[in-house]
Amino acid sequence: MYSLDVKSWYIARKNIKEKLKNLGSMFWTVAFPIMMLLVYKLAFSEGDDAPMINGLTVFDVEFPGIVVYTIGMSSVTSAVMFAMSKVDGTLERIDSMPVSRGNVFLGAVISETVFMNLQLILIFGFGYGILGAHFEIAMLPIGYLLAMIFGIGSIGLGLIIASFLGSPEGANGIAMLSHMSLMFVSGSFFPLDHGGVFFTPHYWLKQVYLQLTVVGDFFTDLLYSGNIILPTSQTSIFPIWSGILIILAFTSTFIILGVKIFQKKTTL
Amino acid sequence: MNVSIKEKAQIKYSDPNQFDENNHTTEFIIEVQNLEKTFNDVKAVDGISLKVRKGELFSLLGPNGAGKSTTIRMLTTVLKPSNGSARIKEYNLLEEKNQIKSLIGVCPQENVVFGALTAEDNVEFVGRMHGMDPAEMKKRMTNLLKKMNIAGRKKPVKSFSGGMKRRLSLVMSLINHPQILFLDEPTAGLDPQARRLVWDFIKELKQIGMTIILTTHDMIEADSLSDHIAIMDQGKIIAFGTLEELKSNSSNGNILEFNFSSRKELLNAKNKLEQITEVKTITEKENNKLVISFSGGIETFKQKILKEVDSFKALHFREDSLEDIFLKLTGRGLRD
Repeated sequence: MYSLDVKSWYIARKNIKEKLKNLGSMFWTVAFPIMMLLVYKLAFSEGDDAPMINGLTVFDVEFPGIVVYTIGMSSVTSAVMFAMSKVDGTLERIDSMPVSRGNVFLGAVISETVFMNLQLILIFGFGYGILGAHFEIAMLPIGYLLAMIFGIGSIGLGLIIASFLGSPEGANGIAMLSHMSLMFVSGSFFPLDHGGVFFTPHYWLKQVYLQLTVVGDFFTDLLYSGNIILPTSQTSIFPIWSGILIILAFTSTFIILGVKIFQKKTTL
Repeated sequence: MNVSIKEKAQIKYSDPNQFDENNHTTEFIIEVQNLEKTFNDVKAVDGISLKVRKGELFSLLGPNGAGKSTTIRMLTTVLKPSNGSARIKEYNLLEEKNQIKSLIGVCPQENVVFGALTAEDNVEFVGRMHGMDPAEMKKRMTNLLKKMNIAGRKKPVKSFSGGMKRRLSLVMSLINHPQILFLDEPTAGLDPQARRLVWDFIKELKQIGMTIILTTHDMIEADSLSDHIAIMDQGKIIAFGTLEELKSNSSNGNILEFNFSSRKELLNAKNKLEQITEVKTITEKENNKLVISFSGGIETFKQKILKEVDSFKALHFREDSLEDIFLKLTGRGLRD
């Protein structure tokens, strides 16, 4: 019935224009990750620049955590965007036009994906290009793709949060709380030594990303030797595809749940 | 007393299909049957039925919370009715929402605009959602923005005044050449100049044959713009007709307003007026004012009353207004 792609693109274009003019949103999505990178670099450089394992420094191993943080921020920005559209009446206004909710969701995914790309380019450029984090170039595109898939799952989480909250401020608070909690619990910021990490998608993204893009060729040796670097400070073996499956499951579950719950809560 | 009037009014006017055959086409573009909306056991709209002719301006008049906006939200497909049915043009409200959305323009009650965008971006977005041709959209957008005195502004609309946002919202609702325009309190919060501008514009839209459904609690607005008026209260249509029909069916007759110098004089006059058979109602107002409705001709009544009451400061005769009818039917002033 509707030209899903064209209308979604115009919705995405509107979202992008709105977001670019929102300084607060731009700070959290672009400036804050760069600040975190600098903090990490400074925190781990003094005396820690010495390679901890096979030529990798603490900063090299922690850099994927910043990637997880940056991409996971999509849950916050999308929660705020959808909660705002509920409160200020723009969602209802769009509902009165010949546009489906499918257009609205796809538009949001497109606009958030554009920003995720911008964030990743900035983070990669700054982290790899300027601060010198180690990376395996052959595996980088796969890591990039996984990060994007995880980001789309985070949009789903944002949708779920926005469904239950009546104000953008509330959505921002809860989304920030959940994102930061997951960052800490997953050991993405600092390695944690507990089993709870396995229940967070953030852990798996960092883990897979770490293995693919940092450990790189060395990964095979580690797999054979049974010594995989884990943020839990433990060593164990897990096949990399299990991590990828968990990220895919997280993304598909959260985006489906997010769309369903948001539809249910906002269809009057 | 009020309840009985309302009941009477409902019996008399609850069939809004009794149109006169004045200048309008006989085609009904909207037909609503027993439409109902319930929120948590509260009936916001309680089984209303109405018909709107193509090209007319139909006003839903009522106090806050009467169910006007809920009715509009149902007719514009954003709210699902709990019961009842409606047809807009040849489309069923419940089953053909997408076709209906393509026909209508909606100016919601609040100033719903995308604050970070410019006025042109806002209007262009709505045009794109309606799949408009870019060149045609641009031309129409320029004309409409000019007409509403908001052309050429490049700042984000969040910096606009409330009145400018309201006018922009109106432009957004018109960009797609809607066949039916829904205006939910279009002049709420506007200054007199802007209000006049919007009224003139609405009159122009009527002239080109656009069907307009307007909600308002502004009596002057309803009075000056409407072809037909439905008065809503507590989710029901309690009166329906043209302004003349409403006046002839619901009016108390003529109105006389007395001003007295003191409360003592007012009470004396009130006692005497209560004895006069033509007097239908007597209402005390602030500042020693009495408002009397009466039947019969003004001149005869004037002669009669001047014999009885002589100690007044000023008196003023007038016809029953829409506000008088509204207050009589709803039994109270506007509510929050």
